Amino acid sequence: MNSMINDSSSATALRDNADVAEALGRTYSAGFITEIEMTGLPPGLDEGTIRALSAVKHEPEWMTEWRLEAYRHWLTMPKPDWAKLNIDPIDYQAISYYAAPKKQPKSLDEVDPALLETYEKLGVPLHERAALAGVAVDAVFDSVSVGTTFRKQLADAGVLFCSMSEAIREYPEIVQKYLGSVVPTGDNFFAALNSAVFSDGSFVFIPKGVRCPMELSTYFRINAQNTGQFERTLIVAEEGAHVSYLEGCTAPKRDENQLHAAVVELVALEKAQIKYSTVQNWYPGDENGVGGIYNFVTKRGDCRGDDSKICWTQVETGSAITWKYPSVVLRGDRSVGEFYSVALTHHFQQADTGTKMIHLGKHTKSKIVSKGISAGRSSNSYRGLVKMEKGAEGARNYTQCDSLLIGKKCGAHTFPYMEVKNPTAIVEHEATTSKISDDQMFYCRARGIPEEDAVSMIVDGFCKQVFRELPMEFAVEAKKLLEVSLEGAVG
Amino acid sequence: MNQPAPLPLVASLLDAPLPPSGIAWLDTARQENRAAFAAAGLPDTKVEAWKYTALRGLGQRSFANGDADAQTRAVDASALALPGVAGVRLVFVNGAFRADLSTLDALPDGLSLQPLSLALQGDAEPLRFALSRHYRDAGDAFAQVNAAIASDGVVLRVAAHARIEQPVQLVFAGAEAELAWHARNVIELGEGAELSLVEHYASRGDAAQLATLVSDIELRDGAQLHHVVLQDAAIGTNLIRRSSLHLHARAQATLHVLELGGALVRHDLRAELIGDDAQLHTRGVFMPHGRQHIDTQLAIRHQALNTTSTSHWRGVANDRARGVFRGAIVVAPGADGSDANLSNKNLLLSPSAEIDTKPELEIYADEVQAAHGATVGQLDERSLFYLRSRGIPLAEARALLTAAFCRAVLDDLPNAALREHLSGLLVAQLPT
Repeated sequence: MNSMINDSSSATALRDNADVAEALGRTYSAGFITEIEMTGLPPGLDEGTIRALSAVKHEPEWMTEWRLEAYRHWLTMPKPDWAKLNIDPIDYQAISYYAAPKKQPKSLDEVDPALLETYEKLGVPLHERAALAGVAVDAVFDSVSVGTTFRKQLADAGVLFCSMSEAIREYPEIVQKYLGSVVPTGDNFFAALNSAVFSDGSFVFIPKGVRCPMELSTYFRINAQNTGQFERTLIVAEEGAHVSYLEGCTAPKRDENQLHAAVVELVALEKAQIKYSTVQNWYPGDENGVGGIYNFVTKRGDCRGDDSKICWTQVETGSAITWKYPSVVLRGDRSVGEFYSVALTHHFQQADTGTKMIHLGKHTKSKIVSKGISAGRSSNSYRGLVKMEKGAEGARNYTQCDSLLIGKKCGAHTFPYMEVKNPTAIVEHEATTSKISDDQMFYCRARGIPEEDAVSMIVDGFCKQVFRELPMEFAVEAKKLLEVSLEGAVG
Repeated sequence: MNQPAPLPLVASLLDAPLPPSGIAWLDTARQENRAAFAAAGLPDTKVEAWKYTALRGLGQRSFANGDADAQTRAVDASALALPGVAGVRLVFVNGAFRADLSTLDALPDGLSLQPLSLALQGDAEPLRFALSRHYRDAGDAFAQVNAAIASDGVVLRVAAHARIEQPVQLVFAGAEAELAWHARNVIELGEGAELSLVEHYASRGDAAQLATLVSDIELRDGAQLHHVVLQDAAIGTNLIRRSSLHLHARAQATLHVLELGGALVRHDLRAELIGDDAQLHTRGVFMPHGRQHIDTQLAIRHQALNTTSTSHWRGVANDRARGVFRGAIVVAPGADGSDANLSNKNLLLSPSAEIDTKPELEIYADEVQAAHGATVGQLDERSLFYLRSRGIPLAEARALLTAAFCRAVLDDLPNAALREHLSGLLVAQLPT
């Protein structure tokens, strides 16, 4: 064999590899690490850790006790294994339960420039740009909130929007009344862990009759190594209040898995409406399934008052493993629960997500639209429960679950549970699974559309029903995210 | 650690002596299955397959094993006759073969049919594969019990390319006494064979019974099976069945199931489409009323190319009854060209009744068409209005529509006389 040819072909291969590497590097643009001086607790978990965590955060005694009680309960709980997840055991003693930037800013102006830069890179407006974007942001960096924007404007409207730590100190009576009232401390394994060690998160309180003047948003960022993020968010909308809340998340690229176990509680009183939108883009791991975030989240809304409404919209593209079921308890008569979801998995990602709609009140309504897209060797499951209790007179549910398969090695699954105890309730469920049809591809290709663009167009159409429900800026971001996440899925 | 005392049901089932067989492999299999049952006990509702069927009540009862008087129990043979079904019949009373009630004298060419008790006295080797199976999964309790102590049942074979014109009827009757009985069936259709089979559960009297049945049905290349199951057991019967169906290349099975009677009724139907172009069509209706609990667990696995399955199931629950349905479809990696469709529609007729349904899709191949749908609700208001506007009173309109709702699953049953009869049974079960 001619060595010249050999050389040149290996050079081409090398260049190709470099191109591929570059393309892959591009796929997760939020994968950088911020160099900043950190302080925190050493890895490990016992009652001492929890007392220390509580002390660092200057929490009142009742909060410490609440955490300890949750911790003691957690110790008695078995690790759940019912989802079809392929997961190595998690060593809870190897995780540091508190990490925070050393310099604690008093106001946004004092925020470390390195941090501001981080959020700037992520496209989150924390400073002057915030005014243009018109969205109030609470930025959570590892275990603490580093800044909340637009506080004055919100305060003028009577809206309380701050970090959870601050709320525990400033508004203990509200926190005490609602915290754990939707997701009790012993609800499930990860909720119990979160209740014991939660570090920070957002707190939103919209008083009676107030329409929140702007979109509220929290941006979660995991930065430090060997930490877990355990945020806790509580949103309370009093009678007739309206709020729309957005949540975004990213993390650096690392080879080891990191744990994110959040709890989100929503309370809607009479005629209140809460819209909660998530674009979840935690680091998904690389193309070989190394690294990535374990995203085990308990999200639940409680339509406590009559005529209230809670709407969950989520776009899930990140995380090595996602395990979450944003749910609505429809307690008030005529209350409405909605769930719109797009979950995309690629490479070795595993997503097990869905919702629960628990109908208790009369004439309650729920609607579920779930779109799953699986590519590579990933696995994507919808798991949902619709429950019509005895009192759910005239209640109504409609569920639609569609799955799209891209490639031969992935899996798409649907596990809907329907439990009906009221003869006047109506439950409907429909699901389909298919791949992008050759006809659709041929149509696009015949019109000169390159294969990747055609796929992304078709996927976009597939998800449209959900994107329509997102606030506009989020819809644009979600669309881009899908395109990037699908890169290399075809061909 | 102290082991809690076993539930009365478990204790009574473990008390039953293993039937002597004189066949080493069979004795071993029976012992191992009993040991597995002794170790695992009854599944609780945390076991996914038993989530909606609690065995707490049944677990507190105990049943004597088998019936020494099975040969002399009075059974009205004429009551077992079904329209459109005549000819070969095999009858079991309390789990034991009854030659006097059976018609086995003129077996058509290519059909071999005998009770398991007899088959084991001859060459048992062909049964070895089915009968030496070990059940190890969580929730396999009753299959373990059956594998350990069932000593009779059906052994049916159709030779390759034989077409059996007359339907073959299998009757499992329970009679009078409070006891537990078990039956183990092995059915095989050779290459290109064709058979129509009617399986009838017909216990009488109010004695509480526990019956377990395990059936293995093998369809070789190109075989065709039309299978009708009529379950109208008496109100005291707790009936727990498992059927495993294997479809080889181009095999076709059509199944019509009516679940009408019984106290706690559970049917696990597991079908595997293991040959290319195999087809399975299931139709079924479950109509629990009173305090009945009827649970159907359908699991269909597509494992080969271009396989097709369609499943249409209807449920109607009345009074304080509970209907449970799971319809799981798995398309295994490489099973390209699979086409799977499942629907389960349910009517709730009473404020104390409950329906729990769970259609599932698990897809690991991409050249696939799969869809499922499930509904729970009431009769269509517009249809009711249509009928009423034509002068039909509300109650009658409801009855008409409910009957039509149930009967839909019988539409493609080719045996017209049987279809009419079954349809009459459905209507009779509806509230008036």
